[in-house]
Amino acid sequence: MRIAIDHRLSVTVPQGTVQAVFHLLLTPPSGPTQTVESWSVEGTGIGNAGRFTDGFGNAAHLVNQLRPEGEITIHVRGEVTTRDTHGVLGRPAGEPVPALYRRLTELTKAPEALYEPFRDSRDNRLSICHALMARVGDVLGLPEEPEAPKQMQADGGQAQVQEAGEVAERPAAADYAHLFIGAARALDIPARYVVGYRLVDGEDGLHAWAEAFDEGLGWIGFDPHMQICPTDRYVRLAIGLDAEAAPTLRTVPVAEVVQVAKVAAA
Amino acid sequence: MGENTPFDEMYNADGSVREPYRALSEWLGEQPEKGLALMQVDAEAIFRKLGITFAVYGSEEGTEKVIPFDVIPRIIAANEWRKLSRGIEQRVKALNAFLYDIYHRQEILKAGRIPEKLILNNAAFCPQMMGLEPARGVYAHIIGVDIVRVGPDEFYVLEDNLRTPSGVSYMLEDREAMMMLAPDLFQRSKVAPVETYPENLRRTLESVAPAGAGRNPVIAVLTPGIYNSAYFEHSFLADQMGAQLCEGQDLFVDGGKVYMRTTTGPERVDVIYRRIDDDYLDPLTFRPDSMLGVPGIFDAYRAGNVTLVNAPGTGIADDKAVYTYVPEIIEFYLGEKALLNNVPTYNCTDVDQRAWVLENIGDLVVKEVHGSGGYGMMVGPTSTKAQHEEFKKKIIARPDNYIVQPTLALSTCPTHINNDVAPRHVDLRPYVLVGDEVRITPGGLTRVALKKGSLVVNSSQGGGTKDTWVLED
Repeated sequence: MRIAIDHRLSVTVPQGTVQAVFHLLLTPPSGPTQTVESWSVEGTGIGNAGRFTDGFGNAAHLVNQLRPEGEITIHVRGEVTTRDTHGVLGRPAGEPVPALYRRLTELTKAPEALYEPFRDSRDNRLSICHALMARVGDVLGLPEEPEAPKQMQADGGQAQVQEAGEVAERPAAADYAHLFIGAARALDIPARYVVGYRLVDGEDGLHAWAEAFDEGLGWIGFDPHMQICPTDRYVRLAIGLDAEAAPTLRTVPVAEVVQVAKVAAA
Repeated sequence: MGENTPFDEMYNADGSVREPYRALSEWLGEQPEKGLALMQVDAEAIFRKLGITFAVYGSEEGTEKVIPFDVIPRIIAANEWRKLSRGIEQRVKALNAFLYDIYHRQEILKAGRIPEKLILNNAAFCPQMMGLEPARGVYAHIIGVDIVRVGPDEFYVLEDNLRTPSGVSYMLEDREAMMMLAPDLFQRSKVAPVETYPENLRRTLESVAPAGAGRNPVIAVLTPGIYNSAYFEHSFLADQMGAQLCEGQDLFVDGGKVYMRTTTGPERVDVIYRRIDDDYLDPLTFRPDSMLGVPGIFDAYRAGNVTLVNAPGTGIADDKAVYTYVPEIIEFYLGEKALLNNVPTYNCTDVDQRAWVLENIGDLVVKEVHGSGGYGMMVGPTSTKAQHEEFKKKIIARPDNYIVQPTLALSTCPTHINNDVAPRHVDLRPYVLVGDEVRITPGGLTRVALKKGSLVVNSSQGGGTKDTWVLED
């Protein structure tokens, strides 16, 4: 499937900022599940950006803006051909060792009740991950449900996820991914955070999901928010230990960022 | 080790003078009454004039103090030093190989030689460093290895200090002061020079400049600023090397490269000797609230446009919990037995070891895993019963937060105390530079516990320093 992406980020830095520095993870990799046909990242200062590969293997830009005024727009466009591999990504080259993704982080703490039933499971990793995905869906609720989804906290308590209309710092799906990742890591399964796009009619296409590592198949995608393994409607953008490690955009000083991605079949 | 009588570096058990100390012993005998006391007064004046002070955190009197300097040098024989420096070189090579592995394929973890969780879940492990290729494969370029001596031939490494070890300015100033105070003593002995350190530091830094830097790389020393306890040293080293001393606000990133603001416009910087901790180095990558660092500097490093010295993430190799594995690390990467001893360390998360530790706490040293500078530690034999009980409770509450070691009988050196000469316990911090080659300055910084019987040599806890002489053949 060929997917067209049009992703706009509007950045407002505090008034009087002398120098702003942006760290961009907005360049998708080609790999077993996708081939990038065309891609461009445009905006003030991008032409002069430092380009490098970060610790997780992502293609990154370092952009600086001298005395930025008003709103800065970053415009990302491109087309990607995707393949449905039932979520299997395998072992792409140039990535750090999977064991790295056993590291626990603040954002990926899962309550023991979530993973404990699987601790002594004799099932294979693949089955355990599928079952974990279902558990995360049970705990947080599914997006189609009319009620606001509930978030299970690390202490097992429940809290309301953001109110409707509130601007999300990261996609709501990130919370689902974090819970899945935390539970998988607690079971010694390397798991990582993926930010990317999902082809969905009329909605913001920015999305987040998880990948877990299986010794046989390599990395496999799990989207606990949608309760499926990623299909050819998914485009991977960047990976990391959690949402904090793989933001599409990070800025100093901290800026207000509004981003919308239009994702359509090309 | 740990025996009752500590090793005296000057006198044999029968009262005769050990060979390396012969000239010093004669010289001491020739000093007029109150000669040493006068020298001590002169020394104080010299250090005040040089402006060498250090800050004591939590002290009620003025925060800036002159570090106490003892006018009697500590002496190491040429053959003793050869052995020591071979051991140090082995250690820093292995630790750099370990860092390369940990931030690449992690073979040592796959081989099960170190528990994976100890590394991957360690706060000192820096995931952002994964896959980075540092110039010449070196992560820790500037190292200060803390060593204690317990016998004629027995040395132990206490800590490797691979982050931003300080104190080298004291080593240099101690020598300068000693040469002013006792030029005649230098004439009687062939003492290996330490003055080459700044030049060697410069060479080391130049040798790890990024590929596009040209023949004369621009070097900057990045300091947290004048309120840092080691600010004097930062400015001193920059001055000695002919490098720029910068604070975070003096540097900026443009087009993925690092520049220094100068009166004649921006100047590209190739190598940064940073004395700011990892967490504060770059608010874009590490702590977002840091005001000390340079936003984007880490990304510029990843882009290969600047070298950071030492590399971020070196702390994983001098973590107190990883320390116990250093002999293993040396064997794994170099295929050699460790030349220098590690202090045996008890693991309190092990039920049996913990029980033994709690029973024998009065004889042991307890250290916080993430503590430094002599804070948060307890030396059993010199602590009260109440302190023993307090630390027992702490260990039971958080066994993974402490390491426990036997109390070492640190060697003693003759020290000037109240116009008399008395033995006091010492340690040694040699300074090592790793770049195109390994350069170890002969000697290092000797710290001396001025209180009788005390084993804590930290300047924040009443320790002083001595000039350290390595004799040449």
